[in-house]
Amino acid sequence: MIETKSSVLNWNDVTVGDELPVHEREITAALVAGGAISATRDYQDVHHDYHAARLAGADDIFMNILTTNGLIGKYITDWTGPTGELKSIQLRLAVPNYPGDILVITGKVLRKFKENSNHLIEIEYLGKNKQGNHAKGTAIISLPIGG
Amino acid sequence: MAIAEKVFNNYTGVDSEPIVGVDAVCEQMIRHWTEVMEDTNPLYSDPQYAENTKYKGIIAPPMQVQVYTMNPLWPKPEREPNSMESLLKVMAEEGYSTIVATEQNQEYFTPMKPGDRISQVVSVKEVSPEKQTARGPGYFVTFAYKFTNQNNDIVCQQTFTILVYKSTVAVKEESK
Repeated sequence: MIETKSSVLNWNDVTVGDELPVHEREITAALVAGGAISATRDYQDVHHDYHAARLAGADDIFMNILTTNGLIGKYITDWTGPTGELKSIQLRLAVPNYPGDILVITGKVLRKFKENSNHLIEIEYLGKNKQGNHAKGTAIISLPIGG
Repeated sequence: MAIAEKVFNNYTGVDSEPIVGVDAVCEQMIRHWTEVMEDTNPLYSDPQYAENTKYKGIIAPPMQVQVYTMNPLWPKPEREPNSMESLLKVMAEEGYSTIVATEQNQEYFTPMKPGDRISQVVSVKEVSPEKQTARGPGYFVTFAYKFTNQNNDIVCQQTFTILVYKSTVAVKEESK
């Protein structure tokens, strides 16, 4: 049985400027091609066909944006626990994720605010690999208020 | 040669017909997603945990919404091309035939539960002027998506930007 995370991060325990844990993910060909075809049903050839990727001007097959988005969402709820409720993710891609890369994701709390009955935080995250910034953006998540 | 701006105006701001995803939200597709992402969130995979939350059962990762409306590899959909598809065809005919996604902004509303049927309505939001990029000349094209479930509740609103370009490498290969 895989251990599931059920720790709870409360809004009251978060401070603007708090840093999220650093997360490293090895980018394999299986993650790139499986992320495209199996996880996100994306059959664009540049994500599974080396020759098509080279013709497109890339060095190798590269991760599709939906997989990067999934990894960012996971990164955030790994930190908040399952009571964190994602409200939005903004994602801008720069350099590609190729097999053999290590994606290093960091993040910090930009803002705490209340809207309607929700207790929200805004996070700024950055995913880097050896060529530079792969993914950059912000996300908003609601948290239980806590004691 | 660049494509005239007025060509793009024919395609912007026109909503597609709703496209209903071929698969309902289901535990199998959720599991394939969490397997690749290595996402251990029990809301997506542990019915016992999820039963005792406000959702009263497992939900799909909100980031997965577009997966349910992706065009299948086969058979090709039997419908008129929408404004997004027509625009991309026109651009490909002018040599701008390679696509890479550059930006995705998602806002989440109603959660997705197994059995839900997700539909999307898509339109072309804007096309940038021609840009010279590292991979060749191209345009940044932004689409607006609205995803709804079978009750017409909004699940997600999204903007999605792609670079549509003439690959410098491909042009060199062709002229060999």
